[in-house]
Amino acid sequence: MDTVEIVMIGAFALAGVGLYGLLVVRNLIKVVVSLQLLVKGVLLALVAAGKASGQVALGESLALTVVVADTVVAVIGLAVAVQVRRVSGTLDLKKLSNLRG
Amino acid sequence: MAGALIGLSMGLPWLGALLVWAVGDRRPRPQHALAVTSAILAALAALALMPLYQADAALRVNAGGVFGEFTFVPDGLGVFLAAVATVIGSLAVIFSVDYMRGAAQLGRYYALVLLFIGAMVGLVLTGSLLLLFIFWEMTALCSYALISFYNDDPKAVAGGIKALVMTQIGGVGLLAGALLTYAYLGDTQIETLLARGATLPSGVLAALAFGGLIAAAAKSAQVPFHTWLPGAMEAPSPVSALIHAATMVNAGVYLLARFYPLFSQVEGWTMAVTVVGLVSALLAALMATVAHDLKRALAYSTVSQLGYMVYAVGVGAIFASQFHLLSHAVFKALLFLAAGAVIHSAGTRDMRQMGGLGKQMPFTRTVFVIGALALAGVPILNGFWSKELILEHGLHDGPAWAYGGMLLGAGITALYTLRMTWLVFYGRPRCKGHVHDAGPAMRLATGVLAVGALSTWLLIGLFGELLEKSLPFHHLHVEAGLTLIEEIVTAGPTLLALGVVALGGLAWWYRANFGLAHDLLAPLGRAAAADFGFERLNTRVALATVRVAETLRTTQTGRLNWNVLGILGGLIAVLGVLAWGA
Repeated sequence: MDTVEIVMIGAFALAGVGLYGLLVVRNLIKVVVSLQLLVKGVLLALVAAGKASGQVALGESLALTVVVADTVVAVIGLAVAVQVRRVSGTLDLKKLSNLRG
Repeated sequence: MAGALIGLSMGLPWLGALLVWAVGDRRPRPQHALAVTSAILAALAALALMPLYQADAALRVNAGGVFGEFTFVPDGLGVFLAAVATVIGSLAVIFSVDYMRGAAQLGRYYALVLLFIGAMVGLVLTGSLLLLFIFWEMTALCSYALISFYNDDPKAVAGGIKALVMTQIGGVGLLAGALLTYAYLGDTQIETLLARGATLPSGVLAALAFGGLIAAAAKSAQVPFHTWLPGAMEAPSPVSALIHAATMVNAGVYLLARFYPLFSQVEGWTMAVTVVGLVSALLAALMATVAHDLKRALAYSTVSQLGYMVYAVGVGAIFASQFHLLSHAVFKALLFLAAGAVIHSAGTRDMRQMGGLGKQMPFTRTVFVIGALALAGVPILNGFWSKELILEHGLHDGPAWAYGGMLLGAGITALYTLRMTWLVFYGRPRCKGHVHDAGPAMRLATGVLAVGALSTWLLIGLFGELLEKSLPFHHLHVEAGLTLIEEIVTAGPTLLALGVVALGGLAWWYRANFGLAHDLLAPLGRAAAADFGFERLNTRVALATVRVAETLRTTQTGRLNWNVLGILGGLIAVLGVLAWGA
């Protein structure tokens, strides 16, 4: 088994954990964390794919771009979580979506 | 040189739009000045482009690996329509200086009008199907925003949305056409499609051709998609002139004429186009005869005249169709702007409350009568020449029943034109309050168009040469100008058509003596006033769409976990298909 394959397995494992998290968690902060895990797995896969196809620079630069965008997502997501908690007193998504009207 | 002019005639209105918007609504004077300047400069650039016509691309923009090259081709069809869009568009902008004086949100108005003009220039000059789609959607968006310009009026908003939805139907067809072309021919150039389109599988070609017809019918307001055009009357009058004469509705006819060499190879396509044109011309003429709203009557007459152009494409008379487009653009812009002056001054659009305005608005009456005579097809105005040309081709190359229908349509056109003119400008005054004649900017715009309505037919020879030399796929054979004129004057059908037009006029004159016929035709009139049920059909379709959407909405729970489950399911399905395919 070469390095690329090992890294790929790790990447899929990370993304899988992230996806599982998104499937089951209801806490808004945990959602952000799961999303981060998912994206980090994808980033790892990107870099590994760059290595495998011989275009290392392309994979890395793409990954870096995603890192920037992803950081913004995390920051805004956490800020929203803080505000939601302050306004409605809960972070439970199920309760939040029942707060219509 | 040609490339630079293309860039100017498309880019100047857009630049103007940005500047007008940036100046801000607190300074209306520079806004007016900027809008008029950029529109006129664009018109000059488009006019200068006309003698430089060529069949090859003059401007190429490299759009990267995925899209290839975006080309702009200044061929006869393109430069002519670009000139129509910018010249009539700039006259509408000049007219707006008086019409929109003191109106709120001038920046939004001018920015959208200029964006509209630029998008139309791009639409007719581009040589790439993908760009064609993008410009097509831009014009749809601008027309929506302008029809709904008075956005605190629910009718205006509804009219705008209707126009957007209807023309959207066509946009999807165009996008599908571009993608199919790319999939089968590896290119999105119009030239490639026209040159190698015959090698496409016949099913694909038929889908392209009939998709194109639906797209064109939706954009050019042909039956059964015509209902958006009368709804578009809520817009300010210069915008109506712009949509009806200079830009929007011409796009559909342009599409048909552009792809005629390819689409006409599909069996049944030319017949379908002929029938769509015929039905639209006749039904819309009847609806115009019973309309009470001045702008509505004009809108239906636009549908009817566009029907003539579509019919001409159906019988293979591309030149006649485009020539009528030119005439129609001039006299319909004139009629709409003159109607705008009347409405601006009388404060109503209902013709039953007008009457006898001719004495107070002599200038407006003169130009309106010139436009109306051109619309009715009275010699020597431009509408006469182009309509006779269409009818003559229809007699020679099309089915006889269609010719008879179009001839009848010409008679009804004369009837409703006379009725419209009479109700507004002659007879007993039914209008309360003081009425004033058009302002200087309005006079300038309508005056230029009136001169155009009297004289553009003189360009017939040059125009024929322009189309003949730069459209290699159309194989047009247009005779010299003088021969054409002589042919029209001496042909038998011309006299016949003139007789029918005179009959139509007489029918209005002696309307009191038609007691029996009046009673017989009353149900027809009621059906026409009710839009022949198309309006109700459209409403029903719209309601059904809303209901389906409401039903489907329950699947959107808004719960994150369920959405992720959906994504996961989709991923597994894709992987499954891939594994199964491999």
